[in-house]
Amino acid sequence: MMEALTPFIAPFIVMNAVLGIVTYVTLLERKFAARMQSRIGPYRVGPHGLLQPIADAIKLMMKEDVVPTAADRPIYNLAPIVFVLPCMFIFATIPFAPGLGVADLNIGVLFFLAVSSMEIVGLFMAGWGSNNKYALLSAMRAVNQVISYDLPFIFAALTPVLLAGSLKLSDIAAAQAGGAWFIFYPVIGQLAFIAFIVSTVAAENRAPFDILEAESELVAGFRVEYSGMKFALIQLGEYAHIIGSSFLGALLFLGAWAGPGPEWLDPIWFLTKAMFMFLVVTWVRWSFVRIRVDQILALSWKALLPFTLLLLIATAIVVVWRGPGV
Amino acid sequence: MSLDALAFWVLAVVLVVSALAVVLSKNLFHAVLWLALALTGTAGIFLILEAEFLAAVQLLLYAGGIVTIMVFAIVVTERLVGESISQTNRRIVAGALAVAALAGIIVATIWRQPATAAAAAQTGDITRNIGHAVMTRYVLPFELLALLMLAGLMGAIYFARPDD
Repeated sequence: MMEALTPFIAPFIVMNAVLGIVTYVTLLERKFAARMQSRIGPYRVGPHGLLQPIADAIKLMMKEDVVPTAADRPIYNLAPIVFVLPCMFIFATIPFAPGLGVADLNIGVLFFLAVSSMEIVGLFMAGWGSNNKYALLSAMRAVNQVISYDLPFIFAALTPVLLAGSLKLSDIAAAQAGGAWFIFYPVIGQLAFIAFIVSTVAAENRAPFDILEAESELVAGFRVEYSGMKFALIQLGEYAHIIGSSFLGALLFLGAWAGPGPEWLDPIWFLTKAMFMFLVVTWVRWSFVRIRVDQILALSWKALLPFTLLLLIATAIVVVWRGPGV
Repeated sequence: MSLDALAFWVLAVVLVVSALAVVLSKNLFHAVLWLALALTGTAGIFLILEAEFLAAVQLLLYAGGIVTIMVFAIVVTERLVGESISQTNRRIVAGALAVAALAGIIVATIWRQPATAAAAAQTGDITRNIGHAVMTRYVLPFELLALLMLAGLMGAIYFARPDD
């Protein structure tokens, strides 16, 4: 009996860890944003507001679940699940320390990119199923943005793959052992990191790329009709995606679990680096204003895409010339 | 029944049902979503066959990209303009006949093949093997496909140009 359950133990642990991280990352973001704006942030619930995320979760669970009369019921109800599934699946291939992960596939990076591209299906179902102008407009904008930023994201993520000579995430991490993080690779590393950050922020639909949410235009975008647990699921999916991308960025560029100290500190180092990536993205979010749709598309097609493509070719030339590794 | 076989049968049922739903669904938007399920199920079949690379590419290209574009097309033609496209098919008998004929051909072809006991063992990394094959033995068809796609891209740009 126990042997049959073994394959389910690792996913169970990882999923609950992710849920915990996602819950508390909302508090981290609120505190961070508050500090940037000379505020204190959540402080009342528990010491230093530490129980705030739990209070929020309980509040969302107890809210009434409203389904609009004109909504496409099955699609409306299914959308949050379809949205949250890929956001959880992306953690399947991430190794949190040497040999500590659900499945270290040969195609780790590709799996991450493929699964995270599925998120748009759930998003569009939410936008369409709500039968709401704002939600639909938001979904349309999301499709525009996702099509535009998928390719730069893939090309930026492929640069470390080329340098490491493997698609396997644990190999990429191992290639950066001994402080040779890919962000320190002369010129190519820094440029690829910047491109990665920009396209990650766009893929996560966060400010300055949050046209599909745009409070002043579309209220809350594709999730405007959702309430209660369904809203919570969508929020959860969104934050899980951000955390997953942060882990991927930390793994591709910041040397994953490499750090001083004994071996059992590895996952903590990795988590710290991922949180650093998350704070960089949050910092960007609270520093820039929203840019227009046409500016977003122009940035992708006219600047980022040719740039990352050239970068990829340059990396390939360097790798052929110098051999893989730093 | 082994776990692989069980997964295959579950996926097979999902695939057949969703594929039927694509053509029988009255609502075009629902049909596209069923198609997304069918394409995802195909990726699952690739996973069972230990072709992870193909599964990921299947998801990345089909389920992600094509569904996105199809959904885009539906919304542009349907709701924002205010008129919906006819979603009924009057040639259901002819369609069923064509499908039956095709299914007959496929079943007959598979029937004549001797059933292999087990899948051929993989030698080395399948992703690496695919890369090598595409860049050495099949480099000509590969480049021709790239040319074809470039032509398609230029055609799209031609149609999308502003009228002046």
